[in-house]
Amino acid sequence: MARRHLVVAGSVLAVVVLYAVLVPLLAGVDDRVTDFAQARQAPSAEHLFGTDSAGRDLFVRIASGIRTSLLVALLCALLATVIGVVVGVAAGFWGGWPDRLVMRTTDAVNALPHLLLGIVIVAMFRGSLLAIVLSIALTHWTQVARIVRSEILSLRQRPFVDAAVLAGASRRQVAVRHLVPATAPQALIAVVLLLPHAVWHESTLSFLGFGLPPHEPSLGTLLEEARSSLLLGGWWTLVFPAAVLVVVTLAVAFAGQALRKVVTPPQPSELRL
Amino acid sequence: MTTVRDGRGKRPAAEPGTGPADGPARTSARPDAASRTAGDDAPSVRDLRRGRHRDVWGMVRRRLLFIVPVTGLVSAGLFAAAKYSPFDPLVGYLGTRYMTTTEADKAIISEQLGLDQPWYATYWGWLQDLFGGDLGRSRSFSQPVAQVIAERLPWTLLLAGAGLALAVVVALLLGITAGVRSGGLVDRAVTAVCVVVQGLPPFVLSLAAIAVFALTLGWLPAAGLSDGGSDPTAGGVLRHMLLPVVVLAISQVPWLLLAVRESVVTSKGEDFVAGAVSRGIPTGIVTRRHIVPTSLAPFVNIVGVRLPELVVGAVLVEEVFSWPGVAGAIVTSARDLDMALLAFLTIGTTVVVMVGSLLADVVVALMDPRVSTDG
Amino acid sequence: MAVTRITHLVRSVAHREGNIVVRARAAGPVLPTIALGGVLALVACTTPGGSADGEGAAGDAELVLADGYELGGYNPVAGFGAAGEAKMYDGLVRLTGGEGMPGFEPALAAELPTANDDATVWTVTIRPGVTFSDGTTFGPEDVVATYEAILDPASASEARSSFDMIDEVVETGDDTVEFRLAYPYAPLVTKMLIGIVPAEAVATPGLAAESTLNSEPVGTGPYTLVDLSPDRAVLEANEDYWDGAPEIKKLTLLYVPDDNTRAQRMVSGEIDGTNLPPLLANTFEGKDGMTVTAQTSADWRGLSLPTNNPVAGDPAVRMALNLAADRQSMIDDVLGGHGRVAATPYPEVYGEAYEPDAVFEHDPARAEEILTDAGWVEGADGIRVKDGQRAQIALMYNSVDTVRRDLAQAFASDALAVGVEVDLEALSWDRIDPRINTDATLLGGGDEPFDPDTQSYDALSSVFVQPDVGSVYANASDYQNATVDAALEVGRRSLDQAERDAAYREVQDAYVDDPGYVYLVFLDHTYVSKDAGWNMSGPVLEPHAHGVTWGPWWSLQSWTRD
Repeated sequence: MARRHLVVAGSVLAVVVLYAVLVPLLAGVDDRVTDFAQARQAPSAEHLFGTDSAGRDLFVRIASGIRTSLLVALLCALLATVIGVVVGVAAGFWGGWPDRLVMRTTDAVNALPHLLLGIVIVAMFRGSLLAIVLSIALTHWTQVARIVRSEILSLRQRPFVDAAVLAGASRRQVAVRHLVPATAPQALIAVVLLLPHAVWHESTLSFLGFGLPPHEPSLGTLLEEARSSLLLGGWWTLVFPAAVLVVVTLAVAFAGQALRKVVTPPQPSELRL
Repeated sequence: MTTVRDGRGKRPAAEPGTGPADGPARTSARPDAASRTAGDDAPSVRDLRRGRHRDVWGMVRRRLLFIVPVTGLVSAGLFAAAKYSPFDPLVGYLGTRYMTTTEADKAIISEQLGLDQPWYATYWGWLQDLFGGDLGRSRSFSQPVAQVIAERLPWTLLLAGAGLALAVVVALLLGITAGVRSGGLVDRAVTAVCVVVQGLPPFVLSLAAIAVFALTLGWLPAAGLSDGGSDPTAGGVLRHMLLPVVVLAISQVPWLLLAVRESVVTSKGEDFVAGAVSRGIPTGIVTRRHIVPTSLAPFVNIVGVRLPELVVGAVLVEEVFSWPGVAGAIVTSARDLDMALLAFLTIGTTVVVMVGSLLADVVVALMDPRVSTDG
Repeated sequence: MAVTRITHLVRSVAHREGNIVVRARAAGPVLPTIALGGVLALVACTTPGGSADGEGAAGDAELVLADGYELGGYNPVAGFGAAGEAKMYDGLVRLTGGEGMPGFEPALAAELPTANDDATVWTVTIRPGVTFSDGTTFGPEDVVATYEAILDPASASEARSSFDMIDEVVETGDDTVEFRLAYPYAPLVTKMLIGIVPAEAVATPGLAAESTLNSEPVGTGPYTLVDLSPDRAVLEANEDYWDGAPEIKKLTLLYVPDDNTRAQRMVSGEIDGTNLPPLLANTFEGKDGMTVTAQTSADWRGLSLPTNNPVAGDPAVRMALNLAADRQSMIDDVLGGHGRVAATPYPEVYGEAYEPDAVFEHDPARAEEILTDAGWVEGADGIRVKDGQRAQIALMYNSVDTVRRDLAQAFASDALAVGVEVDLEALSWDRIDPRINTDATLLGGGDEPFDPDTQSYDALSSVFVQPDVGSVYANASDYQNATVDAALEVGRRSLDQAERDAAYREVQDAYVDDPGYVYLVFLDHTYVSKDAGWNMSGPVLEPHAHGVTWGPWWSLQSWTRD
């Protein structure tokens, strides 16, 4: 059942990625070339999704937008995961007061509205891609840390850890060489599950004007453009990017959840009797 | 952040305990009973209740102690980051005149406004003013911060309160129905819609709502509190708030509904329900009297945990609908890096969210004695 | 009732379970009920009863306008109303409208100012019998105090740099004031449009941006400010105005920063008028009861090409870019037809001072020829290279403006067609400042369009190449052309109109042979207003600022009903 979900979600995702990668290549359209005389044309045979405010074909522009959004999201997810893994391993492994401190910190970070922190960080360091990536990563690493921490806690009791210690490995070696790799599957899943959040955040920040610059295509900037184009009569500038945003977010989320179900062995309590 | 465990001690996957390797559920009422000698009477209801209250108070105290340092760290971090930010607050202050002002004059203005102090001096000054009752002056609104808050807070409360209320009602109704008949058509449809809506950022929903209802159909106004400049009237406000409230509610319904559904499905599998059904009690009564009440505690817990989502939703809805609330002011003050207002709003929101979540946990703890108060 | 029922249920369930439960209220269903009740209470409490005031019979003499620009900051010393458009103040002179160049007529001056032979001393006679809105009489000491405050370094006035020709202003009699200048300056009358404030208001030196005048203006103008909040300002007619009380009795200004929101409110009929970007304004063409007005302006958009930039400073590149830019298409498509091509900072409306031959044709082929001849050879990726330097320029623009964004994109596209790569960067002004002399910037100008000197001197004179002279944006290209400099000085000092006109024509001729910027367009400012049977003010040449203080409402105190 979970495998079926994974296959479906995975295929949708594959289609999206192909769209994002192939269409700009095949169309051979340079993003920098504008044709304002063709601005805001309705969808037609020539322009499948219509044109945007600068006369660029929306079908191609959305593909570029997906690429930018996903790349930024990937960066954020990776950074968040790295932070989360480091923190989670440290907390799970050491236990005691560092662990409690870490848990309190994660609780605190969780308590703060993510977007708010994101806005504040990006507002202060405007126009910087690093700021965008950091603002998303710094507010999302907690989920990863928690997952990794509980993994470590359960792994700690396993015989192979004892065996390693008996063989003379130092605590650090045990942590780095044995525990961290064991958390890899969960970490991978965490990256995938973070992607929709990161895309959501980036598009919101770009929409508010704090994210990527308006001439760069990303799902967020396209939607921000849609805000003006609506009044000028262009429903397609809103509908298509929004639909793509939903599809991408859902596909990635489903793929991640299905992946998790496949990778994680079922708990006894989940077994249906 | 209390962990909610049901009677069987099943913990949802990957949820943290408050310490390593938590054991099965313990009721807080038991220790008093266990400590009595065999010959004593059973503990009175009053004693147990008092014991429970003490535990809850303990939780409140611990949590408040936690909130203080977090708030302090966040506020200090905010001021430090602002100082190192390359953004020049004079841009917001001078507006279009920024370009024509000479560097020498900008230096004079900076000095007069105290913009060139080290960050801890600004922070300390702000703290002192804060505890002295002076909230400072908002550069972006050209008003004292206290006035900005006083004028805008009621509108945010109105929007958020109405939105949350509507979302809760819808989530409860649909969630219980979906959960009780889980796997059925209604359940699948509702869950699917929720999943889709959850993927949409609130600003997309707002834009779509404006596009359809305000621009195309023209049924409802697209922005603001009242028609062009006139003082708000009860009727006008209701008309203007319909769209933002509905959009905010829709953006919050998915996770609320799924949480309700989840806990209803869990309760459905409990022994006491099987017992009730086997005794021949009709499904409707089983639902209303057995399943719903035990599902409520986790639901309130979720509301507390997800309060930040409501805040985020409010920020975006207020921004798109030009609703003159406090959440929208966050965006404005962030744009202009108006530290006086931004600091107060950020920290205020943080405190409100944490206190709100604490309140939710208190309610849950009082409602459900199985819940631990370690949180 | 539902509440008590559920409470009862919780207790009964608990009882059946065998647990002894604390008698807790079922908070879940109670919360929404309380919230709903609270909501209704809030609505009832926070909204005043009754309908909006002022509507009804008196509604005819009222206007509600929505502005995209912030309210407040009403201090002339800080530069507010420098073109005389402030409704609460009067200047010594004011503009007369009409097609073409506006003229000047005396306002607080009894007659137009006169100058001595070399335009270094100007004398003004004050109009008697005028009072400020706080009751005090207007006199020459107020004129002196206003200008002294603007020039005072302690005010840190944003307008100071445009008044630096004034050495001192002196009272020379009961009703005369003398302006003594540091150098000859023919168009001084353009500096007399700014509003006059009472001497008492500027008695203590201090930051102009912090003065109480910003939120409580005291002036002699046709309107007085009665209410100010961040999103609404209410002005009421001054019944004792020296030029006759205005017929429009109440003016409400709303601050609505978002273009789309203003347009939506215009559509719904909530407001009587607003300024909108040209494409949005065009959607109101032909709508019943709405008029779209386009006011000509000398408000130009263009980009600077800093001399210090190895690519942008190259004369061949500068000429090629000017030929490659398709200005007409920008006007037709980006501005919806509301604009004029600009080759130099001088618009056609300057009449005799305008040189009709000083234009750049749209000729990409010629541009490519020029580049190739100068050694810029096309590389493999289509971008030209010369001596290892790629033809690549960074163009910075201020992100908040959609028109600037679109013009920047259109220009980048045109440049790409001739093999020059233009990389766009959307930044806020403070990020642009430090790089203004090394990278291209999309600029706007035309703050003071009423004389060719104020329109162009700041942009073209090499005086500003020195770093501490003037503001950072003065001569952002670091343009140096001796012929242009000489002609600008003649235009500035000569009192002879024909001589001035000839000088400015010479500037334009010299400029198009050696351009330092790419001037793109002059914007027409677009406004939408509801038809309400008023005889409105005619057209006027507008400066760079274009909120609702301009547009059809620039002299709304003179509107009459048929």
